[in-house]
Amino acid sequence: MKRIQRRDKLKIYGDLLSALRSESASEKIVLTKVQAKINVPFDRMKAYISELVGLGLVRSETSLKLTEKGIQYLREYDRVLNFMKRMGLLYQ
Amino acid sequence: MYELERITVEVVSAIVCFILVRFMVKPFRLTGETRYLGLPLGFGILGVSYAFSALSYSPLSDYTVSGPVQLLVRAFAFFLLAVTYFFSKSERKPKLMWNITFGISVCTMTILMILANVFGQFLWINYQTARVFANIFNLICLVYVSIHALKSHMEQSDPTTLISPLGYVLLGIGQYSLLVWSVDASIFAFFGALALRLAGLAVFLFVSYRSFYSSERGRK
Repeated sequence: MKRIQRRDKLKIYGDLLSALRSESASEKIVLTKVQAKINVPFDRMKAYISELVGLGLVRSETSLKLTEKGIQYLREYDRVLNFMKRMGLLYQ
Repeated sequence: MYELERITVEVVSAIVCFILVRFMVKPFRLTGETRYLGLPLGFGILGVSYAFSALSYSPLSDYTVSGPVQLLVRAFAFFLLAVTYFFSKSERKPKLMWNITFGISVCTMTILMILANVFGQFLWINYQTARVFANIFNLICLVYVSIHALKSHMEQSDPTTLISPLGYVLLGIGQYSLLVWSVDASIFAFFGALALRLAGLAVFLFVSYRSFYSSERGRK
């Protein structure tokens, strides 16, 4: 049986921001879809979203949306992960 | 013989390594995990060792001191790179193990450096033998890192991840050429080693540029 790898908070934040970015193309973000993508319990996902709002990476007005800071963070996160993958280092 | 060429290659290698440190530090800065600290430290110390090599070829320096020092520093740099790859795959993230390994290796390095300075003359007598052992040690570290990076590439099945193992392989062949040079003093092996090293470092520069700048340009 394949072992499910543990993720740390940073990885979950990255996955959550990526999911929010891909979902933001639709009119309204459906949180259950986001939850299915990042694979965390719903209540914990809500807590993570609150933390991201607190950090100024996500805006929660009428709908959830990545702020400019969030977009920049995600861009840098993707770049560093891509670099680590290319260098043969895995971040789990 | 060919002192100017040697110094030029060493200086260029040192500059490239210091440029690479700027990129290699990013995984540590993002994740805050000390197990990724070996990558910038490894390339930084490698750059210092090339600077020592350049210094050792210049007439201003005493080769009996700078020669053994650059051997030790370079071996330490390759060891740090190997340790980083060793700990990178661990799912349990043994922060303590990395800290202990790093602490022990720094202490060992400091003791060896003191010995190299105190007993410089003694080390100089055995310098040729020390150089062969240091090259073998560096080669083992690079073979380990190359295999690790290649295995990682095979798991990803992404063609872009093949480039960095190529860089380590080039550095490894360069070390092998240095080993040949240590044994039979072939000037072709020596300059081959320098060329392979430059090619290997250029590969890492290319990987860094592609990861951080090329993708950015694509988005704009």
